[in-house]
Amino acid sequence: MATEERFTLTVPTGYACPEAAFIIAQLDDQSALLLEAVRDITPEELEWQPGRGMNSIGMLLAHNAIVEVVWSQAAAGEPVDTARILGLDAFEGDGMPLPPDAEPPAHLAGKPFAYYVDLLERARAFARDHAQRITAADLDTIRTRTRRNGQRQEFSVRWVLYHMLEHFAGHHGQMLLLRHQYAARRVNV
Amino acid sequence: MPHLVETKLEVPSGYRSSVPARYVWQLDDQTRRLFEALEGATAEELAWQPAPGNNTIGMLLAHLAIAEAHMAAVGVEGRADSDVPGTIGITVDDDGLPLPEDGAPPAVLEGKDLAWFRARVDQARAETVRIAREVTDADLSRRIVRPPRPDGGQRAFNVEWMLYHLVEHFCGHSGQILMLRHLYRVRQPA
Repeated sequence: MATEERFTLTVPTGYACPEAAFIIAQLDDQSALLLEAVRDITPEELEWQPGRGMNSIGMLLAHNAIVEVVWSQAAAGEPVDTARILGLDAFEGDGMPLPPDAEPPAHLAGKPFAYYVDLLERARAFARDHAQRITAADLDTIRTRTRRNGQRQEFSVRWVLYHMLEHFAGHHGQMLLLRHQYAARRVNV
Repeated sequence: MPHLVETKLEVPSGYRSSVPARYVWQLDDQTRRLFEALEGATAEELAWQPAPGNNTIGMLLAHLAIAEAHMAAVGVEGRADSDVPGTIGITVDDDGLPLPEDGAPPAVLEGKDLAWFRARVDQARAETVRIAREVTDADLSRRIVRPPRPDGGQRAFNVEWMLYHLVEHFCGHSGQILMLRHLYRVRQPA
């Protein structure tokens, strides 16, 4: 029997401004799609690289969780501390960027899918808590941070919300491509 | 020497609602960054497959343009059907997606350079801008039900979901294109 697919986003309540609420709804939609797409993934596939020096799905899942916490803290003007939330360091936790010819970081070895689901859920809970406090007046607030390479960044809170979504979606696409390559394992690299 | 990088989301003017204006800014930001990342890509690289049956960068760029031209028309403007050939000069099938197992890229994309793909994306975007400028706040919750597909299934969504989908769809394939560039750089001779 033919079914009707419904594509809607339910904007959550409890937020100080709808724009932040909508971004969290979009992130939740992305998470649901991603986790459904990888729900049967094994630890072996999570660690698989198409070539040495390339990211694995496990690294990308950890990266998405770390980045969500980092940018939530940056938007709030808080110091970055992902270890307290995720048990992973902001700079070393995902192993990115990998040196050429490197394997995934040892501390992610053998981790099952449930480990990454937990990371993502903790990151989202943190992001949600912070997003709920963002007001419409906060959206144009300019924050700054200094990256490891000394580069100073200025960004608005509204840009951070957009970046969290586009960053998640970009790596989501890469994970789908990695799954395809793992299934085929005929990559000419 | 360390330098300042400033990132702000500037809502463009000329729109009846700031919501579609923000989504279009996001699409433009993604497009700018994607084509900056693709600078120097040759026609050979754009047509390279990691393996038979895999998408190429060129196929994904064509897919982005086709999908945007179609989705903006039917999912934002609410037209019964799109006119992809009239908007971007190629048909909805010309991206070759989905490729059959062991399939090669479509012949229509053979030899096309980066400027050609950029023109397709820009033409799709110009139409998206035209449509998005007319979207009002009230339009965002307008429900659209597409005609039944060959299997009888139907899709229903509202206008704001489609605007979100345009952005996340672009982002996902953009991420894949960056990864394909990386794979191309480290490929081994066949």
